[in-house]
Amino acid sequence: MSEDVVLATVPALGRLYARSLAATVRRSASRGAGAAPGALPDVCYAVHDVPVDTSRLAAYQALMGLRAADRLPAGFVHTVAFPLHVALMVRDDFPLAPAGLVHVANRVTQHRPLFRGDRLDVRVRAVGLRPHRSGTQLDLVAEVRRAGASDLAWEGVSTYLARGVRLAGTSGPEPVAGDARAAHPVVGERAPHDERPAAPADDRPTWRPPVPTASWRLGADTGRRYAEVSGDRNPVHLSRLTARLFGFRRPIAHGMYTAGRALADVGPAAGHTFVWTAEFTKPLLLPATVAVNVTAQDDGYAYTVWRPGAGHPYLTGEVRPLTADR
Amino acid sequence: MSSPRPAYVLGGNRIPFARAGGPYAHASNLDMLTAALDGLVARFGLQGEVLGQVSAGAVLKHSRDFNLARQAVLGSPLSPRTPATDVQEACATGVETVVALANKIALGQLESGVAGGADSASDAPIVVGDRLRRALLDANRARTAPRRLAALARIRPKDLSPVAPRTDEPSTGLSMGEHQAITTARWGISRQAQDELALASHRNLAAAWDAGFFDDLVTSYQGLTRDGNLRPDTSLDKLAALPPVFGKRLDAPPTMTAGNSTPLTDGASTVLLGSAEWAAAHDLTPLAAVIDAEVAAVDFVHGEEGLLMAPVYAVPRLLARHGLTLDDFARIEIHEAFAATVLCTLEAWQSDELGRTRLELPGAFGTVPRDRLNVHGSSLAAGHPFAATGGRIVATLAKELHRLKASRASDEPVRGLVSVCAAGGLGIAAILEAA
Repeated sequence: MSEDVVLATVPALGRLYARSLAATVRRSASRGAGAAPGALPDVCYAVHDVPVDTSRLAAYQALMGLRAADRLPAGFVHTVAFPLHVALMVRDDFPLAPAGLVHVANRVTQHRPLFRGDRLDVRVRAVGLRPHRSGTQLDLVAEVRRAGASDLAWEGVSTYLARGVRLAGTSGPEPVAGDARAAHPVVGERAPHDERPAAPADDRPTWRPPVPTASWRLGADTGRRYAEVSGDRNPVHLSRLTARLFGFRRPIAHGMYTAGRALADVGPAAGHTFVWTAEFTKPLLLPATVAVNVTAQDDGYAYTVWRPGAGHPYLTGEVRPLTADR
Repeated sequence: MSSPRPAYVLGGNRIPFARAGGPYAHASNLDMLTAALDGLVARFGLQGEVLGQVSAGAVLKHSRDFNLARQAVLGSPLSPRTPATDVQEACATGVETVVALANKIALGQLESGVAGGADSASDAPIVVGDRLRRALLDANRARTAPRRLAALARIRPKDLSPVAPRTDEPSTGLSMGEHQAITTARWGISRQAQDELALASHRNLAAAWDAGFFDDLVTSYQGLTRDGNLRPDTSLDKLAALPPVFGKRLDAPPTMTAGNSTPLTDGASTVLLGSAEWAAAHDLTPLAAVIDAEVAAVDFVHGEEGLLMAPVYAVPRLLARHGLTLDDFARIEIHEAFAATVLCTLEAWQSDELGRTRLELPGAFGTVPRDRLNVHGSSLAAGHPFAATGGRIVATLAKELHRLKASRASDEPVRGLVSVCAAGGLGIAAILEAA
């Protein structure tokens, strides 16, 4: 049975980032060979009865090009849960350095719509610490319910990668059989300032860009603007100078910003309950003008985001309706 | 309410269309629409008349022009008791105003009306950014000085830069040209075919001007007596020398140039409509009846169809309602947003697969005989002041159909088809028949 840490309010991210840097330094000092402890803290962070910050909601909707509707965008709910991700990652017993974690994939299931007048119960736990050929991966699972309700309204699984870190007791990073993501190059497999496409693996066909259906002009301030509405002020997104600290020559877009824009491009056709996935295959350096393809696929939609001329997508994902029998 | 009766196009008047930043650079939409209306009133002797309704619009519209059509009436010699309505449907605005008024006339709700539109790409409304606008509005609403100052203190230097309107689709961020380039590539339309269509547009428009065809359709304005974009001396060689401007980041080689795309244009147009009784009472000759119309829209957001392809769907539905085929039309006007728009439309209608899968027909919809297409030139040569294009096309086609019928001296119906694509994946089609 896991321990529940119930917080009085959603923690402020600014202080968590400071602790995150401290935690990163501390872990680097204490761990010479790069091996991480083999277990995640068996803990669940929770915060209850959280009101929706309506001015932040309006700002989020405007930034994503969404109408100011009362229904909460699925990406906005992620921003409500995200501070708990960070709170959990800065714990002393968390095995990986939070500042070195890269968001490589995300999967949101919107089981039922949430509204601006709802009060939210949010729970976050870390699961699935596992070796990956480029390091170590884990999932942060967030659950959101309407306050007091037992049925799940929103569930987010955010997959993070600690590049080059191997778990204690394993011989080194290994490809994980059956893990589809292992077939994709992920952030940090190359020197991050090298934006050229990696040489394709033998079993991977050369990627051909689809026909664009939309285009995003992402200004140099894209990261700062999303930081303002999401609270996610990770310095790698904010400016050239702060991005350099992490080895990027320019700031990179927040993954959940681009995934949120893609969900907005799919639009109301997504319905009110759906599964929305995103795979962040490369860092998207800002500013950038990227091409977007949204296309009907099976009973839902697939989307791709890439830069014309680049031999790879930055982001791929799907939005599928949640059927009653699932 | 009486049963439907024919509604007629009685004539039209427009000002010559001008390239943006040219002779009309300092004329507003209201200036140009009033000038076009003024010329219509003078041509048909309507001074002091109470018309049933004036309906007009603009696509790039300033918020102060919320009553653009009514203000144009008040600035014209028409009776100030003439009602007026604004309409906005992107580039379909002009045809929509014609259809709406014709329907009212057909139903007996009106005896007469003026349809029209104006657009200035030169005098486009520039707005302040959302952050500055919201801060100013909040400051305006604030009841105390400290709160007002707090609202104003939110303003940052970068918020002060003005925002000019763009021709990007709001849903996709792609410009209309980039959208068309995708469709152009999908249908494999060649650069040469586009340049040939552009050349035909200039030659046809120049010939119509030289023959005096526009003498009773256009009134000169601000020193301009012919459409400013017209290049009578252009050639395939000159068109072929122009660099591509759209579709440069697609896999297919880019084919769309400034020569085979319409330029940003300023202008205004009007169309006089009326019942047979009203026309007779005013000693006016009906040119053509407005028979029917159809609007359509396509899903370009999810890539199902090209942005400007809605007329491909509107026209077959419209013709099916009347048991007509493309062969039943003496003249066909397809708005030249881009040369490739027209060519993609023609290709789509000739496609067996599209006919079967998208139009629910047994095969291809049909072929447009090129000698019946845009015979007096279209938007590539004349230019395309968005909301004014429909009025230009309808008045030109009505006159042409009337002329054709008179020359044939037969009772066979002489029909004309109008097809106009518009932003937002919209399209409108209409059937006229010579009176």
